[in-house]
Amino acid sequence: MTILPLLLYVASGAAYGVHFARREPAMGRTATTLLLVGVLAHTFVIGMQTMEVRHIPFANPSRAISTFVWLLTLSYLYLEITTEERAMGVFILPIVVGLQTIPALFPGVENADPVLDSPWFWVHVASLLCAYASFALASVLGLTYMLQFKEIKKKHLGYLYTRLPSLLTLDTMNSRAMTVGWVFLTIGVVVGIVWTAQARAVSPDDPNLQAMVFNDPKIFIAMLTWGVYSFGLFARSALGWTGRRAAWLSTVGFLIVLLNFLPVSYFVTTSHTFQ
Amino acid sequence: MHVFLLGVSHQTAPIDLRERLDFSSRDVGEAVEAVAARYSAGEAVVLSTCNRSEIYIASDDPVRAQEELLDFLCSYHQLPAEAFRSHVFVHTDDAASRHLFRVAAGLDSLVVGEPQILGQVKDAYQVAATHQCVGPLLTRLFHGSFGVGKRVRSETGLGEGAISVAYAAVALARKIFGRLDGRGVLVVGAGEISTLTAQHLRSQGVGTIAITSRTAAHAEALASAVNGHAVPWSEMRGALASADIVITATGSQRPILTRADIEAVTGRGRSAPLFIIDIAVPRDVEASVSEIEQVFLYNVDDLQTIVQENLTRRAAEISRAEAIVTEEVQRFTAWRRSRGAVPTVVALRQRFEQIRRSELQRLDSKLGALPPDARARVDEVTRLIVEKLLLTPTEQLKALPDEETQIAYTEAVSRLFALRDEAPASPDADEVDTGQPNRTRS
Repeated sequence: MTILPLLLYVASGAAYGVHFARREPAMGRTATTLLLVGVLAHTFVIGMQTMEVRHIPFANPSRAISTFVWLLTLSYLYLEITTEERAMGVFILPIVVGLQTIPALFPGVENADPVLDSPWFWVHVASLLCAYASFALASVLGLTYMLQFKEIKKKHLGYLYTRLPSLLTLDTMNSRAMTVGWVFLTIGVVVGIVWTAQARAVSPDDPNLQAMVFNDPKIFIAMLTWGVYSFGLFARSALGWTGRRAAWLSTVGFLIVLLNFLPVSYFVTTSHTFQ
Repeated sequence: MHVFLLGVSHQTAPIDLRERLDFSSRDVGEAVEAVAARYSAGEAVVLSTCNRSEIYIASDDPVRAQEELLDFLCSYHQLPAEAFRSHVFVHTDDAASRHLFRVAAGLDSLVVGEPQILGQVKDAYQVAATHQCVGPLLTRLFHGSFGVGKRVRSETGLGEGAISVAYAAVALARKIFGRLDGRGVLVVGAGEISTLTAQHLRSQGVGTIAITSRTAAHAEALASAVNGHAVPWSEMRGALASADIVITATGSQRPILTRADIEAVTGRGRSAPLFIIDIAVPRDVEASVSEIEQVFLYNVDDLQTIVQENLTRRAAEISRAEAIVTEEVQRFTAWRRSRGAVPTVVALRQRFEQIRRSELQRLDSKLGALPPDARARVDEVTRLIVEKLLLTPTEQLKALPDEETQIAYTEAVSRLFALRDEAPASPDADEVDTGQPNRTRS
């Protein structure tokens, strides 16, 4: 059952690839349709998991990734439908497929640690996952901007030039994605702080809670991420850092996000494991 | 019934002759009606553009039609036949459909792949249809050509890429800025290409167009042509600050815009890109300006290179477009052939039906003893036998490979069944179902 969304995403990704190469509108519509069906299937899976544990699935990294992919796909679909630009699909879907193979192959087990029942907690996680999905989008947009910029600046108007959206469109989309991501990131971090304080008052001896300090790797890197994106937004409006500089920032920021998600989650953190 | 085409085009006649043979200066509908009524089997379409004048008709006798149409051209355009006879080309059937399909695909145009021709072909058909001058043959032919035009545009790159410097500049502007509404344009010096580019930009919905020139009158003239406003030469640098797209085309021997000028308007104050199109030779803008991060500087050579690359890409698409044309010509030919068999098929069905009914009538006295549903059953069985017997011969007649074979076979069938002889009158002889959804008589 959990493999179904993955298969649909793979099919959709192939369709986006063909659409990008041949620019046939019919193939583009097929790709979007497959993606919509995939998201629907994925929603169903997530819905079932939510009912199982009474909150959005995130407590084990595998499920968190699945939820993240779900949010990423939804954000991308929103972007595609509002801008009518299908060119980005060929760049986003590999990320979707790549990440979704992890929960598909290593489902893991959701545990019902009572500390997770606090609504604050799952607002914290949901917010952060939304933020990361936005940042993922922003980084892909940024990379695409850089590709398109190079083609136009160097006057080699080739394969990519004809297929990618305009520079300003890419820049605007990047800006929006970064802003939305930053808002969710801020909410997530603030809620996390509030919740920690609350939970410590209730169970002061919990080792996980004790580890939730600034030098825990996961928390530290999250703050670093917040710093990078805050600077990005500031630089865009006050220093005129649009275009390529904004693109670089969003890529760097997302690399940090990835760092937090995968290696740190699996190997290094103490505060964010729930046994 | 044949498709017959007679015409002149830029491939066969010089422009002054084409102008004299042009139909569009008078009422084309009137010309179409005249041709349809007098020189064809009731079907005619006239395609008249600045590069071609072509008459398409349905005709039983193409040889006679050729002479008659030449006479028509003489009298309609008041020209002696010798003036244009050697410039005229004629085609029949397959060659005619191939010509029309190539024209609709843009393969016969001066600039291969140009987009207007398909619309012109559609308009020509529309005029003829409005004047009731089209029947099944030309309708199918022209709809086939619309299909070809659409396929070539969507399946090949034949119509893609700008092929003039002005269009190339506008296409680039759209790749940089996306939508052009609200963008400011500054035109420095009013020459031919800068005028064209400004006009294209205006038609793409750009915001303000400011024009400046050493000669104020030139600036004013262009300003009124493109709905812009003239700016005194002395205020050029000020106008630069609010421009997103700059077109320079002065006759100046030395650059009029230096790196310092551009740096003054880019940087922290402006975050959006600046697109500079330098059409002048010698160049108006210092080359080092292109090193500025936000600036995209294209000179006339760059644009020419783009145009050349697009033309080369188009040329590479020609063979794919020709393949599509060939496919569609074959499809049209098969349709045309199947229609050739229709009169014989209809006559054959009528004959079988006559025989069936007259036999049933003859046995009426003996069948009268049967109850009504048994009689209906008998009627049904005889009808089914006739259908089954006719099914394979009908399919075969419609699917014959070439004209000669078809004529031979239909002739054979006509003789074998004496289809041309008068048959004894039978009730309801006209109510014959040919078994085909769109029954047509030619």
